[in-house]
Amino acid sequence: MDYLPLLLSFRIAIVATLLAAVLGTLLGALLRSPRLFGRDLLDALITAPIVLPPTVLGYYVLVALGRSSRIGQAYEALTGSSIVFTTTGATIAAFIGALPMVVKSARAAFEGVDRVYVEAARTLGASPLRAFVTVELPLAARGIIAGTMLGFARSLGDFGVTLMVAGDIPGETQTAALAIYDAIQAGRERDALGMILILSAVAIGLLYAVTKLTRSSGER
Amino acid sequence: MKAACALLLLLFGCRPAPGTAPEPLRVAAAADLSLAFEEIGALYRAETGQSLSLSFGSTGLLAKQISEGGPFDVFAAANVSFVDQVIGAGRCDASTKTMYAVGRVALWSRDPALLPARIEDLKEPRFRRVALANPEHAPYGKAAEEALRAAGIYEELKPRLVYAENVRQAWQFAESGNVEVAFVALSLVRSNAVGEAVAPTGASTPQAAGQGSGGASLVIPTELHRRIDQAMAVCGSDPGRQAAGKRFVELVSSDRGRAIMRRYGFLLPGESLAEIR
Repeated sequence: MDYLPLLLSFRIAIVATLLAAVLGTLLGALLRSPRLFGRDLLDALITAPIVLPPTVLGYYVLVALGRSSRIGQAYEALTGSSIVFTTTGATIAAFIGALPMVVKSARAAFEGVDRVYVEAARTLGASPLRAFVTVELPLAARGIIAGTMLGFARSLGDFGVTLMVAGDIPGETQTAALAIYDAIQAGRERDALGMILILSAVAIGLLYAVTKLTRSSGER
Repeated sequence: MKAACALLLLLFGCRPAPGTAPEPLRVAAAADLSLAFEEIGALYRAETGQSLSLSFGSTGLLAKQISEGGPFDVFAAANVSFVDQVIGAGRCDASTKTMYAVGRVALWSRDPALLPARIEDLKEPRFRRVALANPEHAPYGKAAEEALRAAGIYEELKPRLVYAENVRQAWQFAESGNVEVAFVALSLVRSNAVGEAVAPTGASTPQAAGQGSGGASLVIPTELHRRIDQAMAVCGSDPGRQAAGKRFVELVSSDRGRAIMRRYGFLLPGESLAEIR
């Protein structure tokens, strides 16, 4: 079995998930704030990738970041390579899948934090930022970590958006999901089987861990 | 800050810097080439010591990707019109356009007993599903549709047709037993019958393929569809990569490349159909 697609998948999923974890936590905290105007609309926009067909997402990415888009052209002028059909493109595809998972869990986790603790910290003289970092974030950590794990599982499994935005180039954008598709089409099912088993084991393991993690946070 | 550095390293660190380890030659090839080009690719690696990556898909999809900036160095299409399209888009070099093969369509079944004797027999109800590559963007699918029309059974068969993204997927539908028969490229069947003599072009007799579960195929007479003229070209603008691309194109057209292509059932440019018969 060729392990290269699996390694690439993990590399892409790790980067995408780290980015999604940072941005997703901030967005989750923002969405918790009841004073935010258009909060539910923003939530729906961020969550949409969970239910939208990959073709729709792929289309949006191509329009927004493709070679004829402004961002795409600016990026190309700076780095000399396009965003689409590169590892960067595949990472963006994985990121889009991971972000809503983190945001949803982070928002729920922040909403579960008892405001009394935050207010106590503020009364004791902590700045809003300090209260957030030292009190609120640690209390919401379990939920955020669970969301990040879900996001990782989701980005590891992306197929449709990656295929549309990054193509199927061995060593660069051919992730395990794409390599499996390729191997099955070519009648090399034995090559696919190892990756199929590993991806399945990782997904089930992550989901199991997420359930454990969120349940004990509820019991606490 | 440290985390940000690690992040950047993950994202960009594993890429070779320009001028150090060369990136592989990226070849975008029509799905019908997936067996023949693996062999020619191995030859290229052995000869040049350079790496090469092959991306297979339907010709139309690959052409679209190249037009939109897909970073391929060589485009090997199943139909010359798509090569003209990417040249027109300014992505590939017209002076490198090379005709390298003439494709042939076959009807393939996993179960030799299921294979029809003639294409007209497909209208029998025992063929519940017939797969072909999507004619809109896959030249072999288009040829299969033309053959069905020429045989006068297209309208009748239409509700039973299953469209695959490319010809290799059509083969997979039949190989997994989900359709009774599939229109495929003869070049995808040959691997299951290594060493077997290629049937005469016009032959319409079923032939059992060589190996165990290799299935059986019926070569579709080429008169039933427009000629599948396959062409390739070198793409991109980097002179070094263009030179490597040219080398690959030359290898496909060399005596050894042609021998491999012939073994997979392709006709070669310059060989007229009449000569073969």
